[in-house]
Amino acid sequence: MASREPLLKDRIAIVTGAGKGLGAACAAELDSEGALVVVTDIDGDSAAKTAAGLTRGESAVCDVRDDAALAALVDDVVARHGRLDVMVANAGIATVTPIAEMSLEEWRSVLSVNLDGVFSSVRYAARAMAASGGGSIITMASVTGLAGSPLIGHYAAAKAAVISLTQTTAIEMRPHGVRINAVCPGFIGTELVTERAHLFEEGLGIEDFNAVIDMKQGRMGEVGDVAPLVTFLASDRSRFSTASAFVVDGGLTASLV
Amino acid sequence: MLSDLTDKRAVVTGAAQGLGRAVAELFIERGARVVLTDIDADALKQTVAELGDAAHAVPCDVTSETQVAESIRAAVELLGGLDIVVNNAGIEIGKPLVEQTVEEFDRLMAINVKGVFLGIKHATPALAAAGGGNIVNMASVAGLGGVPLLGSYCGSKAAVLRLTETAAIELRGVGIRVNAVCPSFIDTQMVERLVSPFEGATGAKFSDVVAVKQQRLGTSEEVAEMVAFLASDDARFVTGAHYTLDGGLTGSLF
Repeated sequence: MASREPLLKDRIAIVTGAGKGLGAACAAELDSEGALVVVTDIDGDSAAKTAAGLTRGESAVCDVRDDAALAALVDDVVARHGRLDVMVANAGIATVTPIAEMSLEEWRSVLSVNLDGVFSSVRYAARAMAASGGGSIITMASVTGLAGSPLIGHYAAAKAAVISLTQTTAIEMRPHGVRINAVCPGFIGTELVTERAHLFEEGLGIEDFNAVIDMKQGRMGEVGDVAPLVTFLASDRSRFSTASAFVVDGGLTASLV
Repeated sequence: MLSDLTDKRAVVTGAAQGLGRAVAELFIERGARVVLTDIDADALKQTVAELGDAAHAVPCDVTSETQVAESIRAAVELLGGLDIVVNNAGIEIGKPLVEQTVEEFDRLMAINVKGVFLGIKHATPALAAAGGGNIVNMASVAGLGGVPLLGSYCGSKAAVLRLTETAAIELRGVGIRVNAVCPSFIDTQMVERLVSPFEGATGAKFSDVVAVKQQRLGTSEEVAEMVAFLASDDARFVTGAHYTLDGGLTGSLF
């Protein structure tokens, strides 16, 4: 195959929650396609570490619950690089608790990161992109946003809302050349999932969480399974897609049983 | 490299023109060798001649089990194996449901649904023999909701989505991924044929509907990019999914 220009040559990208896990993998993939990636995380050291592994990486501390911090981050990136082309609103957290036993504080803590944080990331990115002629936003939703998800009801509700937020923003921003799509991974073997396997086993009354995952998805997902999709959506190759949700789950949601 | 198809061996049905041709063209550009099939042998011959050495023509009526089985056998022989099958062949009827004849309905279902079923059925042994592979079915946003004048087409594309999902689960164990692509209105002859009956039946300008719902017509190349992504190893954990490209059409209430 003939060599080609990197798909994201000189594009300016922000990935939130990219200190580790899925966000870090997305940052690496965008970097490999020529983008300059601003890696952000609430943990500045982990963000710096991810950025250090990139060809052209920068890092910044950012707590996505802090709306003013997101505004400042986007302003700073635009001031230094002239524009923002790609935003991956990835930062997210989870706990494992049935709804009936969940405190309002626990509910709000997850919603504040997984929904409010995406709202702030999306709106500041959308404004900046519209001002410079367009761009592509990718929200990290989840298959949990598509169906009931026992023990992670707050997480699932936030992800469902993220899909809705994605759709509405897409239609509103379409005249300004800003696309926005959601990515819905199945269960990916990051700390977020693996460290909580025993909680799912206890809460669901099953012996082996990983065996259930194998049955439903064929195998546990890997961060590298998701990152190319994010890059595809960031690139012009997906230019006619907006307001859509893209599932990457090994077949989990395709089957009723 | 994103959506790299170097040395992949593919079959694309309904590839003499339109979306199928665009898919075959892009696959070749990305390094694949492709058997194009079509019911129109003359148009197919012409297209293959234009696409160069990596393209091969195998005429095939996808409603005939014998011909589909034979086309897969021929592809395996021509390419030395098979990694990807794109079940693209399809037709539309642009009439109110109650005005469609049983003959028209049966023919559409035979091509759009039975053709995909036969493609999955007969490609599977060849893909499994290659150690796994993947199938991409051409569905449509018409499989996700109703569209006036396209009732039977909508039904057929909804059926394609259910076939896709079930096949994905059943074939996961042998390393075969099965996915669907859902384009909205694309700049093809199929959509061109719809404009006049659509305007007659709804009283709305088709171009206005397109502008409001999806901003512009999509292009065959854009559809081909989506198919290439799903067919590539970059989508290795994607199966049973339908990937939409519709300019926002299905993302909005109005």
